[in-house]
Parts: sequence; C-alpha cells; structure tokens
Amino acid sequence: MIQLDDRLLALRAQVREWGADFRALGLALDRDPELIREHFDLPAVRYLSTMGIPPEYGNVPIPIAGNRFYGTLALERAIIMEELSCADVGMLVASPGPLLAGVLIDLLADEQQKDWFYGRMLESPLWTFFALTEPDRGSDAGALSTTVVPATADRPALLSGAKRYVGNAARAQLGVVFARTSPGPLGINAVLVENPSTGFHAEALETIGLRGARISAITMDEVEIPPERFLGRHLSPSRRGMWAFVQTFNLLRPGVAAIALGIARAAHEYVITHRTSLRRDECDRLDLLARRIDGARRLVHLAAAAVDARTGDGYLASAAKVRAAQLAHDATQEACTFFGAGARLEHPVLDKLVRDARGMEFIEGTSNMQKLNLFQGLFTGKLDREDPFRTAPLAAV
Amino acid sequence: MTTIARTDQWSRCHRAARTEGVAAALTELATAVLPGLLPCGPAGHAIVPTAIAAGAARVWADGVTVDRGSAAEKALGVIELPGGDVELLRHQVRPGANGFSPAERAGWTLGLVWLRLGLSEELRETAMRYLNGRRTGNSTLLQQQMVKSTVADGLIEHLEVRAVLTGIGPGELPDTVLNHLHTQLTYADRALVKLLGASGYLAGGPGQVARVSELLAEAYCRPEV
Repeated sequence: MIQLDDRLLALRAQVREWGADFRALGLALDRDPELIREHFDLPAVRYLSTMGIPPEYGNVPIPIAGNRFYGTLALERAIIMEELSCADVGMLVASPGPLLAGVLIDLLADEQQKDWFYGRMLESPLWTFFALTEPDRGSDAGALSTTVVPATADRPALLSGAKRYVGNAARAQLGVVFARTSPGPLGINAVLVENPSTGFHAEALETIGLRGARISAITMDEVEIPPERFLGRHLSPSRRGMWAFVQTFNLLRPGVAAIALGIARAAHEYVITHRTSLRRDECDRLDLLARRIDGARRLVHLAAAAVDARTGDGYLASAAKVRAAQLAHDATQEACTFFGAGARLEHPVLDKLVRDARGMEFIEGTSNMQKLNLFQGLFTGKLDREDPFRTAPLAAV
Repeated sequence: MTTIARTDQWSRCHRAARTEGVAAALTELATAVLPGLLPCGPAGHAIVPTAIAAGAARVWADGVTVDRGSAAEKALGVIELPGGDVELLRHQVRPGANGFSPAERAGWTLGLVWLRLGLSEELRETAMRYLNGRRTGNSTLLQQQMVKSTVADGLIEHLEVRAVLTGIGPGELPDTVLNHLHTQLTYADRALVKLLGASGYLAGGPGQVARVSELLAEAYCRPEV
C-alpha cells in the first residue's frame, strides 16, 4: 500500500478544499461549458492552468503547507484529479492548462520549444489540445493518416488531415498534432499548432456528458508548420513519434483513472449526503461501494508510482484505468437506486454523474484496448509476474 | 524487525501457493502462525494437509484454542490435489472455551488471503499455458481477443487484491475488507477456470484447486452479520 506522506496529504486536503468551488458551479457549467471563462480566478483553475510546468521554466505555484507542487509527477496528478473530479469533473476538464500536451512537451521538446510553450502558458491561462485520434482510425496511431509534407526550398511544411474526439480543441490556443511525414512507425511526428492558423478549423461536438471538455473535431488543410514547431527535432525518429505518445499516455493514464475514481466517490458521497436515514441493506451496499473505491484507489496510486519510476511501465495504469472506469459506471448507477423511481430526473447531479461516468470508458483508450495492452504486458513478461509493483518505489512491500 | 519477518511469512506462503500447491502453502501458513495446532474456522471446519491433520495436538477455532481430545471431531473427506491432498474435518468447539488470541487470528486471516491470491495467480498462469498450447486456425487460443480480455479481467482482480494487501500487517484490515478480497478472488477464479473448458472440471486438476480455494474462504471467513 502506498502511504501518502504528510506532503501529499496536505496537497489532498488543499485540493479538496478548492473543490468546493467546482461543486458549486458544476451543473451550470454542464449547461454552458463556456462559463469557465468567468472563473479563471478560482484557486483550482489557476493551479491547473500551469500544472505540469517544471520550476526551471518559471512556474511558481501557490505553496501548500510550505511545499510547491508542480504537478509533474503522476502520483501528484492522481491525487489532484481524484479530488477535483469528485467535486466536479466538468469544471476539471474545462479548465485551461497544458495537461496532455504539457506532458508530451516535457518528454519531447527541446529547450527552445519548452521556453516557448511554457512561456505562453505562464503568460495567461490558455487551453491546449492533444490531437491523435482520427475519424476513421480511432487512436490506432500506427494507422494515422494525417500528413505533414516536409518543407522544400520554396514552401514550408504543410499539415493536412482530420482529427476527432480532441478535448478542448475548439477553444484552445495551441496544441499538438500527430501526423505522418512518411509511411511506417518512424514516419510519425508531433507538431505544435496554433489556433487560429490558416487552414486549421476546430469545432465542438455535442456530447452526452463531460460537456466541460468541449470534445472537438479538427480539420487541417495545408496548415503551415515552421521547422521549430516539430517536437523532438533534436531526437532520433524512433524517440519522437510512437515512443513519445506511448510514454505520454502511460504518464497520463493514472490521472484518467483517478478522474473515474473521483466520479465514483462523488456518487458515493452524494448518497451519504442526501440519504440521511439508511436501512441495513442499504448501509451494506454503500459499505461495499466504499471498499471498491478504496481498493481501486490503492491500485491507481501504485500505478502512478510505477510510471513515475519508469515512464515505459504503463501496464498497471491500464489495469487501474479499466478498474476505475467500471467503478465509475457501477457507482453512479448504484447511487441512483438509493433515490427511487425517477431518481435521475429528480437529482440533476446524479444524472450528470451517470452521464460523465460513461465518458470514462473511452477517454485515453477503451477498456477493451487497455485489457489488450495489459495482456500484452503479462504475456511478454514486461509486467513482472512475481512482483507487479516492483517499480513502485513508494510501495511498502 | 517483527514486521519484516511477518511480511516474509506472507511472501513464503504466497510463493508456495503459486509453486507448490494448496497443501504446501497451508503448511507454510499454519507452521508460521499456528504451529502444532489444527486450524479451524468459526464453525469448526478445517481444511488442512494430512500431516497437520494427523499431527496437531490442539485445536484452534477462529482464535480459540482447546485440546484436541476434548472436542468431537468428524472427518468430512479428503480431496486429492496437485502437490498433496487436503483433509476436511469438523470440530465442535465451544465459543470462548480457552481464551482468545486476536494476534493469531489476525495472522491466519491475512495469510489466507495471500495464500488464495497465490493460488489464483497460478490458476491464471496455468490457463495461459494451456491455451498457448492449443491452436485455432493460424494462432493459439491464448491469442484470441476474448481470451485475452478474460485473462486481463482476472489479472486486474489480482492486482487490486495485491494493492490492498501490500504493506499491510496482521489486524490492519477489518473482516469486511478481507471478506471482500476473498469475494474478488473467487470471482477471478470462476472467470479463469472457464478458460480451461472441460479440463477445468476434472478432479485432481486446477479446477479442483480453485474449488478448494473457495472452500478455504467458506471454512475460515467469519460471515458478516
């Protein structure tokens, strides 16, 4: 079990306190996702707007119990994500910040690119996007068809193609697009794109839940990409394409699992708050849910510690993500049963939790894909069968 | 240092369950936690290797210890298993007959979850070996996506159980949590044993181990009231 130290416990307590603002605004934001623009001054939004920017680039987050948390570690992010999504996941995913793109930048960008990207993020709250998934190919990166035609003597590199299901792209000012310069896995590149740019268009898709995320579709028609916007230009091709986004997703997956965990906890807490008198069988059902939430949390934290120790070690994170996504689904459905017929019509928060939970199934890869990944880790021996938590240094075994 | 020694005990018991079978793992656990005693559950049921059934002078029933001769004993059967048989017994022990040792009980109940985790992990490995040796078309059964998914589901249960157990000492988890872990392991076993098809239904094989693992929970878990 990971015992959170005093430092991380203080982080959790502070973020939990910040979450009160999110909870109060959640339903209104669900109706109007652009409402977030009026709340950049909230402490949690301010924190998220620079979360993941390392200190050497000028990030000075608000101190918490004498410590500064830069959000560069997966375990820190897991704690933050659980608390804020428990408060309101819509506010969390609507908030500006470098999140997905920032993790990739941290892994892949050269110094000049980091200065530019982080500098812009520190100037003012900006939304970013991370565009990998394509309309006909999903998130099968090996099959992506968006192209970036290399520059010639008389014209710059040109980016063309389409992306879909990209969080916040419609309102983002900059982001990362994965595109192909040549066939095969070594031909995949990540490029930085600004919005607006000539030939770039993004629009939000209407979704059932997670409406704060403004999940978007992007089209790109010969968008000019200057040479300094090719991420990892100082690295070999094998380190800047497929390798980079696998590492990025490994680092992010525990956070996604923590979001699902937070939704499950929100459902559990909603029942406790709004059903003051419970029958014995209802107490038992709530207790069982609490045990499942606690078990999943332990797995999420160990998975986060594993990727912090080694970014290639994302198999536990796959397990945590599957487990937490199913838990979010189950917990929100279960919570409704405590409020009788028409519960979701009478309790808009519950209805929103159910809708949001459904989104956790596909974000950062469907459960089926995660299970295939997990199986592969087991089959190939990359997940240690004798000691699967071997790389998690915080685990007291 | 005590904590380290205890952790090592669970580790040995867990490893024995994976590599040597039910009897060896039970021997490991009983020797470490209840030496010289016949371990029985709250209703007096025991599932133990033959050597322990024959050699224990005293009976331990969910924390209460009495002389073996002072209580009625009934043999319920023997189950043949890879790595050694186990005997099923029942003892009638009066509650509170001779004090109660919470430390022994905590050690036994925690060790039993580690033991069952080891058995379940080995069942997963057995199923993978079995399906990797059987072909359909141009690939093995193990490489069928539905099979992979079932294996992954079992693995996720194992990982969560292990995450809850890791770093935990005896008495640190309440019975409700331990029972929940047993339920998860039973769930994993039942899903994994399906991968063995009819071969998982044969006495003396891995399906039988899974059955005995369930019986261990049945015998030794204190029911929630």
